[in-house]
Amino acid sequence: MQRIRIRYTKEGRVRFVSARDLTSVWERALRRADLPIAYSEGFNPHAKVSFPDALPVGYASTGEYAELTFAAPIDPGPDLGRLSATLPGGMDITTYLEVPDGAPKLAKMLGATLWELVLPEADEDAATAQVDRLRDASDELVAATSAEVLRLRPNGEEKPIDVRPALLALRAFLRPADTGGALHPTLRAVLRNDGPTVRPTDLFTALTSRRDPAADRGASPPPSDAPADALPTPRVHRRVAQGEPLDGGLREALSGEVVPLEPARSAEAA
Amino acid sequence: MTPPPALLQIAPPVDRAAVRRAVDPETPPSYFEALEPFLPSVKKPAQYVGGEHNQTFKPWGSADVRWLLNYPDAYEVGQPNQGIQILYEILNERPTTLAERSYAPWVDLEAIMREHGIPTFSLENHHPLWAFDVFAVTLPHELAHTNLLNLLDLGGIPVRSAKRTADDPIVLVGGHAAYNPEPLAPFIDAAVMGDGEEVTLEIDDVVRAWKREDGRDRHALLKRLAGVEGVYIPAFYEARYTDDGRLKATVAVEPGVPAIVPKRTVQDLEQWQYPKKQIVPMTEVVHERFSVEIFRGCTRGCRFCQAGMITRPVRERKPETISNLVREGLKNTGFEEVGLLSLSSADHADIGTIARDLADEYEGTATSLSLPSTRVDAFNVTLSNELARNGRRTGLTFAPEAGSERMRGVINKMVSEEDMLRTAEIAFANGWRHCKLYFMVGLPTETDEDVLAIADLSIKVYEIARKHGHKNKVTTSVGGFVPKPHTPFQWVAQDTPEEIHRKLKLIRHAIKDHSGLKLRTNDPEEGVIEGLLGRGDRRVAAAVERAWELGARMDGWHEMPTLDTWMQALEETDVPLARYSYRDRDEDEVLPWDHLDSGLEKAWLWQDWQESLSGDEVDDCRWTPCYDCGVCPGLDIAHDTGYDAANATLPVVPSGLGGGGLPIMPARITDRA
Repeated sequence: MQRIRIRYTKEGRVRFVSARDLTSVWERALRRADLPIAYSEGFNPHAKVSFPDALPVGYASTGEYAELTFAAPIDPGPDLGRLSATLPGGMDITTYLEVPDGAPKLAKMLGATLWELVLPEADEDAATAQVDRLRDASDELVAATSAEVLRLRPNGEEKPIDVRPALLALRAFLRPADTGGALHPTLRAVLRNDGPTVRPTDLFTALTSRRDPAADRGASPPPSDAPADALPTPRVHRRVAQGEPLDGGLREALSGEVVPLEPARSAEAA
Repeated sequence: MTPPPALLQIAPPVDRAAVRRAVDPETPPSYFEALEPFLPSVKKPAQYVGGEHNQTFKPWGSADVRWLLNYPDAYEVGQPNQGIQILYEILNERPTTLAERSYAPWVDLEAIMREHGIPTFSLENHHPLWAFDVFAVTLPHELAHTNLLNLLDLGGIPVRSAKRTADDPIVLVGGHAAYNPEPLAPFIDAAVMGDGEEVTLEIDDVVRAWKREDGRDRHALLKRLAGVEGVYIPAFYEARYTDDGRLKATVAVEPGVPAIVPKRTVQDLEQWQYPKKQIVPMTEVVHERFSVEIFRGCTRGCRFCQAGMITRPVRERKPETISNLVREGLKNTGFEEVGLLSLSSADHADIGTIARDLADEYEGTATSLSLPSTRVDAFNVTLSNELARNGRRTGLTFAPEAGSERMRGVINKMVSEEDMLRTAEIAFANGWRHCKLYFMVGLPTETDEDVLAIADLSIKVYEIARKHGHKNKVTTSVGGFVPKPHTPFQWVAQDTPEEIHRKLKLIRHAIKDHSGLKLRTNDPEEGVIEGLLGRGDRRVAAAVERAWELGARMDGWHEMPTLDTWMQALEETDVPLARYSYRDRDEDEVLPWDHLDSGLEKAWLWQDWQESLSGDEVDDCRWTPCYDCGVCPGLDIAHDTGYDAANATLPVVPSGLGGGGLPIMPARITDRA
């Protein structure tokens, strides 16, 4: 048995594939790549592909992880390259790490998540004003000892969640948009993965607490009668990477590389 | 229930002429960005994004004829459809043709699409329906007719074909429900009956030629299409009625179009080895497997079965072709299951070899094999044992269809009770733990005794099951029979839903003391619309349109009980349901599909219906002499099977089973001619 942990992306259309359906997406890609994935024993054998946690449907990610167990050894470089090539568009394997038996559980290596929320593109003045608002709100939130928000649950109930304990670091900055001149106000935060789950939407609600919580789920675009200076709903929620929290960022779980809270290029652009 | 959304008029699409008729075509907009913000809030959003493995992406400008293929129901039901996947491949193999796919949005997304002006879109590039040249829709049954209207309206094209212009796509339907497209006549431009492979390419040629030479005269295009064998243009035919409202005839009113339109049949399936690169869904659908059609057509002659009547004759694929398709298909898709499809898969002349070879090849792998079959005999169990060689022996399905021997004679399902019980005995003795039995109620001449015989037979099978293991289960599924066009039962009265309910109650009461015997029933109300649309004429179209306007859609879904809406529509449009569904028709009655030729002689169908009344059975013409149903000589085609009727004198029992009295088994020939 050979155990390999991988980091992969979930970007573009494949973002809308649910965590439950993802298992068979992996099983079929493994079969297309003709890799000797191990199968569980028992009545209903399943390929040994395990995921530490589920990404909400619609979220983007460059920081998804999985553990694959192979029945026969593979040559990880070329073989995982072939697997990556046959995954649906938007899913790419970016890093792998072979682990010995007895290695700490993958989930243990993923103590914190670096999240990114990208707001719709805006011209320089508007984008700068939005980032200033986000920075002010961030300072307030970091200074506070607790920040309770209400999350609307699928059954219609509202559940109170304290965002503050999970929050390790937070930064707002501007990032150039694809179209010339425009900018994306962007927020990055490191949230602890242990303790009660805090989603980036909860964080955004805490930062813009006068907003309607339902609008933050991405369920509907901002109401047209919103005040002119209201912050728009983030267009993209992205899990950038997971690993061990560091001052000003995160040490990525498989590669050990430091992922900074604010990417260098964006800092210059801002 | 989610209430159907209120109907809202959507904004007219942007300048279509500029997009569609430019010499060097501009690419129409992609609606993905418009759709994306709403996806997290709708059910199963992955069904709307495309991007599945084996999807074909072609640049808009690379093609001069563009097809939007559609299955007018939810993705989870429509995605596995073989017809769409075959046409998708053969059209996209043409360098200057492009085909994309679309399905019906669920009602939650529909409301959003209407509110925000998002049209019916393709999954590949999220192009709008109105930008395509052909909107090709498969009609697998009648319960998606309202969805078709809804897709047209959502797609920004007029629901009625008379209002369409050269800027609108041609709305083309196929599939089993296209054998009577009359209730959809005002909404469709063209219908094709039968096998789609050849005729689709011929239509593609016609559309291409028309676009090059003219591209503006829609009537001229329809006229050219009418010249393709098997293409029926409803606007070129007129239904005439007597003063008392009976159909007199449906006659051609356009010069040069055929009086009777035949179905299309592909003689040599070997030439059409599709679909090879099947789409691999990324969200749950009804069948997630690599499917291989091992033969097309069926001549068992079950009188209720429309599929078995309209797809004749039998054309088999060779065992080596099947194993190649499976091998390549699994490599291309990564599916963990293989389905050997046909109307009665255990009837393939070489099925024993096929099953053994596949079982050998995949023994010890995680690949499982399945064989949907309706046969009730020990051979079916043998095959299932073979296919489940090292896997689980969970459920086996048998379809006796009727409870009493008399009733089975009427419907020509030649299974004796003795066969059924012996088959159950063998199945449970071989370690199978669950047995599903399929029955119908509402069959012609049925009495309460026949209905109770379903309970009786189920209980007997259940007792056998329990004898072999206390945890063994039996499930009896009972559906209400819906008479269909082009079958010997096309003349018979359908049972009302009240009557079906009463009969189901009889069964439920009779089995209530057997807790491990489960009864599953379909909603008898669903059969009402299915029956009306199945045998309706053009006058029913007004009701289809009205029901859709009133909010009927997704008529086949429990979540959408639309019967009340339909009843209101029938009343408002003066469509008498009872006249269409609840009366026996006479031999000389003109039927709405008399001008549509499925190959079956109407006289033979009537004779078969009459014979059914006395319980006379008809043998399978694969291994007994021809009884002149009309298909082969009429279409100048023939069976293409490994059976040799001339030499099939003695039934051959598969090895290891022994015992006389098995149902008639054809001779098996190891080497094909």
